[in-house]
Amino acid sequence: MMKTGTMRAFLILCLILVALAGAGCSSLGVQPWERDLLSAPGMQLQPDPVVTALDDHIYFSKEASTGGLGGAGGGCGCN
Amino acid sequence: MKAALASACGLLGIAGQPAEATEVRTAILGYSEQDRVQAFEAVIDATHEFGGGKIGNLHVVYDALSGASPSGAVPSQALQSFTRPSGNGVYTTAPGETPLDDTFRDTRMAVSGSLTLPLDRVTGLTAGLYGSGEHDYSSLGANLALTRDFNRRNTTVSLRAGYFDDTINPEGGRPAPFGVMLDQALSPRLDGDGSKQTLDLSLGLTQVIDRRTLVGLNYVFSEVDGYQTDPYKLVSVVDPVSGEPLDHLYESRPDARVKHALLAKLVRQVGAHNLHLSYRYFTDDWGVRSQTVDLRFRWNAGPALYVQPRLRYYHQGEADFYRRFLVEGAAMPDHASADYRLGAMDDYTPGLEVGITRDNGHLITLRAEYYLQTGESHPAGAIGQLADQDLFPTVKAVIVQVGYAVGL
Repeated sequence: MMKTGTMRAFLILCLILVALAGAGCSSLGVQPWERDLLSAPGMQLQPDPVVTALDDHIYFSKEASTGGLGGAGGGCGCN
Repeated sequence: MKAALASACGLLGIAGQPAEATEVRTAILGYSEQDRVQAFEAVIDATHEFGGGKIGNLHVVYDALSGASPSGAVPSQALQSFTRPSGNGVYTTAPGETPLDDTFRDTRMAVSGSLTLPLDRVTGLTAGLYGSGEHDYSSLGANLALTRDFNRRNTTVSLRAGYFDDTINPEGGRPAPFGVMLDQALSPRLDGDGSKQTLDLSLGLTQVIDRRTLVGLNYVFSEVDGYQTDPYKLVSVVDPVSGEPLDHLYESRPDARVKHALLAKLVRQVGAHNLHLSYRYFTDDWGVRSQTVDLRFRWNAGPALYVQPRLRYYHQGEADFYRRFLVEGAAMPDHASADYRLGAMDDYTPGLEVGITRDNGHLITLRAEYYLQTGESHPAGAIGQLADQDLFPTVKAVIVQVGYAVGL
C-alpha cells in the first residue's frame, strides 16, 4: 500500500533523527535538578490536550491540511 | 493519547514508584459561522497513572452540527433550485446568493483509549484504539507509539503509527462522479458504501535547549486510499459567455492521496511568562501546499491565573483539481471539486484564553476566538455574471470554549 520510494525516505529520516538524538544533541539540555521551569504547565509542548484535539477537529474540517504535533488522526465525515 | 505520552515522558527515568493519580479534563465548545454552520462539542478526557509508569487514557467526544454548508455550486442572477442529497425535496437559493445546502445536520460520537507501558527506564510503548460514528459515516482505528529518552531525558524521540478504516454511507447513496444533479430525482448512483483507509506515520523529536527553552520537531506522513469524494458537493457547468450555471455535477476527487506535514515548535520562558510558537508546512500530491503559524503568549499573573492571547495564520494553495466552476464545451478534467476548503485561502484566528486555578487546584479555562477564512472572491477567469458575484464569501466564525480540569 505504501509507495516504496516514500517508505525508503521515511526510514532514512528516522535513522537521521535517532542518530541526532543520540549523539548530536548530547551537549544541549539541563541537569535533572534544573527542570524547575520546564515542569510548569505553561512550558509543556501541549499544555492542554483537549484544546489541541478540539482545534485539530475544527481546522481539519475547514481546511485541507492535517497533521501536527501529536495529532492522533481519526476520521469524521465533517463537511 | 497526547496527554498520556506527555506524562510518560515525564515519568520515565524517575527512580522509584510514582503514586497513582487521575486527571480529568472536560470542555464544551460552541462554533458558529455567520449564516452557515453551527457546531457544539463536548469532551471528556481522563488520564490515570497506575504507578510504575503505566498510564491509561480515555477520550470521549460528542458533537452536533447544524446549519448550512456551501454546496460548491456558483451563484446566479436568477433564483436557483437544487435537489437535496437524499433525492427528497428541493432547496432554493436567491439571486446573487451562494448556494448553501441546509440539510446539513449531524451528530457524532467518538471514543478513543490508550495504554502506555514502560518498557524500561527510558522507553515507553503506547497502544490505542479509536472509534467514531455519525449517521452517514463511521471510523475505526488503531495506533501504536514508541518513545525513548536520551541525554538525561533532554532528548525524546517518538515514532507513531496509526491506521484508520472509514466507511461513508451518504443520504441517497453515492452519486456517480460528474453525475448531473437532476430535478427532484436521484442522479446515477455508485453501488454500496464508500470506504477509505488511512495510514499515518510520524516521527517526533523534542529537545531541551536550556532551563527556559524547549523545541519540538514532528514529521507526519499520511497515505489515504479509497473513496475521498464529498458525495454532497457540486461543481457547476456554466455558459461560456453569460457565466450562468447550466448544470450542476457531483464532484469527483482522486482515490489516493499522500500527505506530508512538518511541524516545528518552540516553547520559551520569557520572564515569568511563556511563549509558544509553532510553524507547520504541509504538502500533498493533490497539489495542496500550506503554511501555518501559531503564536501564543501565556501571561502568568501569579500561580492561579493566566491570560493567553493567540494568533493563528494559515495560508493554503488550491488543490490541482480545484475548479470553482467548469465551462460548457471545455474538455472535462479527470477530477474536479468546487469545495472551497480545497481552494486557495488565508485564514486568521485571533483569540484569548484565560485560565483560573481554584483554591482546590481545579482549573477553569475560558477561550474565545474569531476565525476568519478569506479566499478568491473574484478570481481571474470569472466569466460573464460570475465576475460580479462573490465566489468565495469570507467565512466568519466565533469559537467559545469553557473547560474544567481536576487532578492536575
